[in-house]
This record gives sequence, structure tokens and C-alpha cells, in this order.
Amino acid sequence: MLTDREIISTLEMLESENLDVRTVTLGINLLDCASHDVNKLKNKIQSRITHFAKHLVTVCDKIGQKYGIPVVNKRIAVSPMAVVGAALSSSQLIDVSKTLDAAAAQVNVDFIGGFSALVEKGIARGDRALIEAIPHALSATDRVCASVNVASTRAGINMDAVLLMGNAIKQAAELTAHRDGIACAKLCVFANIPQDIPFMAGAYLGIGEADAVINVGVSGPGVVKKAIDRALESNPNLDLGRISELIKKTAYKVTRVGELIGREVAENLNIRFGVVDLSLAPTPHVGDSVGEIFQSLGLLSIGVPGTTAALALLNDAVKKGGAFASSKVGGLSGAFIPVSEDLNISEAAREGYISLEKLEAITSVCSVGLDMVAIPGDTSEDTIAAIIADEMAIGVINNKTTAARLIPVPGKRAGDSAYFGGLLGQSTILPVNNAQGANHFIRLGGLIPAPIHSLTN
Amino acid sequence: MNKVIISVLGQDRPGIVAAVSKILFRQNCNVENVSQTILQSEFAGIFIASMPADLSLENLKESLLDELHRIDLHVQIKSMQDQDPVFASIEIEPFVITTKGPDRKGLVAGITEIIANHGVNITNLQAVFKGGDEPGDNIMIYEVDVPVGVDQKALDNELRQRAKALSLDISIQHRNIFEAINRI
Repeated sequence: MLTDREIISTLEMLESENLDVRTVTLGINLLDCASHDVNKLKNKIQSRITHFAKHLVTVCDKIGQKYGIPVVNKRIAVSPMAVVGAALSSSQLIDVSKTLDAAAAQVNVDFIGGFSALVEKGIARGDRALIEAIPHALSATDRVCASVNVASTRAGINMDAVLLMGNAIKQAAELTAHRDGIACAKLCVFANIPQDIPFMAGAYLGIGEADAVINVGVSGPGVVKKAIDRALESNPNLDLGRISELIKKTAYKVTRVGELIGREVAENLNIRFGVVDLSLAPTPHVGDSVGEIFQSLGLLSIGVPGTTAALALLNDAVKKGGAFASSKVGGLSGAFIPVSEDLNISEAAREGYISLEKLEAITSVCSVGLDMVAIPGDTSEDTIAAIIADEMAIGVINNKTTAARLIPVPGKRAGDSAYFGGLLGQSTILPVNNAQGANHFIRLGGLIPAPIHSLTN
Repeated sequence: MNKVIISVLGQDRPGIVAAVSKILFRQNCNVENVSQTILQSEFAGIFIASMPADLSLENLKESLLDELHRIDLHVQIKSMQDQDPVFASIEIEPFVITTKGPDRKGLVAGITEIIANHGVNITNLQAVFKGGDEPGDNIMIYEVDVPVGVDQKALDNELRQRAKALSLDISIQHRNIFEAINRI
């Protein structure tokens, strides 16, 4: 027998605190679709995706309804296209991206990720072709997402790849200048990319994964915020140790929801269940924001002194609660701080509380990195590459995932507003300070070696 | 062995369960199950007990009525047949139906009519009406067993339509979600 308290508190999480399953992502292995003949490859990809994913959306909706929990996004992640299409040219890969887009549309998923390359140690011919194809692929498609892993703790930072990505981002923005460079919102540059991220734009199916797998991304920043608010209202003297405990318990609940839904979707589709990614993922709606949690913790806004400490507490407590709730935890699993996608963080950018530098600092304690950050359109590709290199260094040295999703908004300056729409939101463009002059460092190229694993201080 | 089921009603106060069980003990009966609840100021209890072979239902009834009426408790007693519950053999899925909305007459009757029409069994019902229009003050929680063969969509639709007609917000969710979230 359930208690009325258990039922009512669960309903509150769903009805007024925006608890939902942010994404169910079906990973599909395309490695054996590889072919020199681009048409054969496209046909195989098309039939493979539609075969595995044809019931994904209906099953997610059915199970969402059964539990009264909406599955907001249904997505597909495929094997890295630089490997699948290693034999193809850049223009052929653009063609393949359209096939991915069409297949995603056919099975009615929101996004398809995996237009990806893993180049942390070196760039193979196929990788280079894919990176060159990214700007056109992302501007010619709606649902395709791209990611490139340019660094890892074991390999170091591939600075040649970092420079290529600076160029790719710049081009992608120019090609979608009429929509504020929206193609860049579908492109992530990573250090230490996990193989099982269900969130976009970083989702791809790792080389070490099975034929198909279901990964789930939960959400719930609103649930965490309300739990903190309620606790502080009944006891204003609650200390941070007790608040951390509270966040842990809340993360536990959120993760359990994700695992329940994920396992049942997997069972219904007869596909293996992979992981729950227990990230706090915000949307541009009031009450569904990571930024608001900082205010509940007593800070004026995200970005003010104390932010890094507060985020460290939050991120760690979320991981602890989630890890206890499920033995299948993976992906990014932390708090996201995507500037334009979080109404409160976007507001902090508008009011000047948060800068690019502070964002970079706080990515040392959270997942993922400089996420959905709009910067001036005239930022040079070298500067973009240099910002990426800094972000990668944080990940490589601290043995964690970091990423950069930067949008140099064409024709706009710092302080202007960039609009991306839907879940991608909008943001004030942040200035890139001290970027004047030539950056010879970034053009030196080569590999920044992997860090030493002893003498850690 | 003969079993009896005894229901006891009366204004709540200390000593009700003690009084009933003392009589049962004296008559050499063995209490197998007890469930009690308190609604506002009223006590309701159900006891299932097994009787010794030499005790007749009439004799037990007499002593229970005699002693419990004296302390102003209403008692019903009947013998219980050992049989499988009708619902136990059917494969079911447990759901929780929750409604919130302004208090008015006919809410329970309106919702349960549809539940009954679909052959769905209520296993637990908690309804609290504090009155007034504050939805949170007027909540009904039905735990139900839905037979696997029931047309879930039709049940859902009818419940939602009825809830709308009664100005109620309704949620219909599989029970597992509440267990997953709240229990380790």
C-alpha cells in the first residue's frame, strides 16, 4: 500500500516541478554498413535505422503515458560516421548526412547524433573528410548532430584538430548566418567523450557498444530547486552538508524514473538497456533551470563569487544520488550549464553576471563545458580554436569530460541578442575578452602530450 | 477449521482492539488478520479469526454482541468460507488514479462508476475532502487492479471525460512509478 504522501509528492514532481525523461536515445551500430559505394552505404544506413527505430517513438509515448511521465525527446545515436564512411570523400559524407536526416525524419525522432570523428591522437583520411563535411552537413540538415573528440587524458590534445574545429565552427555559423549560426548548436567539440551520451549534440554510439542499445537522459533541475526551496523554508538554518544530502535524495528519485522508463522501453523494443545519464538538463522555461538552483542556494545569480563552489556541491551530490539509484549510470552525468538553453543562465548573461571566463572556470567542476555560448560573429577561427584548446585542457588534466559548443553569431556583436528557438533558446552574446592580436600558439599545431599520472598536485 | 469475520464500528478511543481481542482470546479463537482505520473520529476494524471446533458461531456472536454493545460498539459477525478470492486468478496491472478538484457531491460515485463498469477492482482508496475549491484540499487516491484484458485506452478516456465533467484534475499512472521513486 502506498502512502498518500508518496503519491502526492510524486505528482508534484511531475506536475509543477517539470520532472520528465528528457530523452530516450536509441544507439544503432552502423559499422557493418561500411562500403566504398556511397549508394550502397546510404541504402544500408536507411534500412538499418528504420528497422531498429520504427517503433521507438510509439513505444516511448505509450510507456510515458503508462507512468504519466513524458518522454520529451526521442533520439538516435549512430556509430561515428568518420569510421563508417572512412572510404568516402567530404562531399559524399555530406550526402550521407542527408540520408541520416531523412531516416530520422521517417521514424520521427528529434535528432540523430553520430556525425562524429574521434581524432584525439591523430587525424585519419576519413576523419579529415568528415570534419570538412561538418559545416555543410549541419546547414543542409535539420536533425543531424556532429561531435568531434579532439583530446583525451590518455592521448593529450590534438591541436591540429582543434584548429580544424575552429574553422569548422566558423564556417558552420556563416552557412546558417540567417538563423544566427544555428548549425553550431548541433556541433560539439569534446575532450574525453563518453561512448554512451544520450544528450545532443554529443550522442554517438561508441565503437565498443553492441548492435543497438537504449540510453536514457533524465532531467529535473526544477525538482532539485523546489526540494532546496522547501527545505530552506522549513529550516532556514540548514547547512550545506544537509543540503547536499537533500540533493542526493532528489537525484536518486529522478534517476529511478529514468531507469524505470529506459528499461521498459528497451524491453518493449527487445533491445539491450544501456545507461541512465543523470544530468540536470535545463530547458528555456521558468522552473526548469539549473541557474535557478544557484539562487535557491543563496547566490544572487550564477556567475557571482561562490558559483564554482555551489556547482561543485550540486554536481557531486547529483552523481552520488544517481549512482546509488542505478548501477547503470553513464554518459555525462552532471549538471549542464548551457547558456542559451537555460532561461536563468541566459538572463545572467544579459545582466552581465556571467562571463566567458567564469563559465570556463566552472566547467572544471561540472559537466560539460562551454555549452551553447553565443559569441561575437567576428571572433576569428584562431580565437575560437584557442577557447576550445583551453576548455580541452581542463578536461584532459582533470581526467573528465569537457566540451565546447560555441556559436559565433554572424553579424552580431557582444551584447546583441541571438535567437535559436525551441529548446535551444536565446542568449545575449558574450564578449570574448583580450582576443586581439595574432595567436601564434594555436597555429603551432601538433599534439599537447598526455599529462603525467603521478605527482598530482 | 471454521473462520469468522468480525467488523467493529464505533467512536474511536483507547481500548477497542483490546476489548475485541480479549473476548476472542477467552473464547479460544485465534486472530489471523486485523486491519483497522480511523476516519475523522470513527474507528472501523475488521478481524479474521479461526474458531475452535467446540465453539458455535452463535455462542461467539452472543458474547461479542453482549460485551461490545455495552461499550457502544457496533458489531457484525459472519462465518467465512475458505475460498479463493474471485480476483486472485486474473492477471492484473496495478495502477493509481488520483484526482484533485473542488469538493462537491458525487465525486466518488462518479469516478467509481467507471472503474466498476470496466471490471477494475479498487484495492485501496483514500479520499480526503476538506471542502472548498482548493484542489489540493480535496484529493482522492484510488489504488486499482486493472485486469490485463481491459481496454486501457477506453478506461483512460472515460475516466478523463468524467473527471472533466466533475471539474477534477486526474492522473492515471502505473503503480511502479511510485515505488521506483519512493522506495529503495
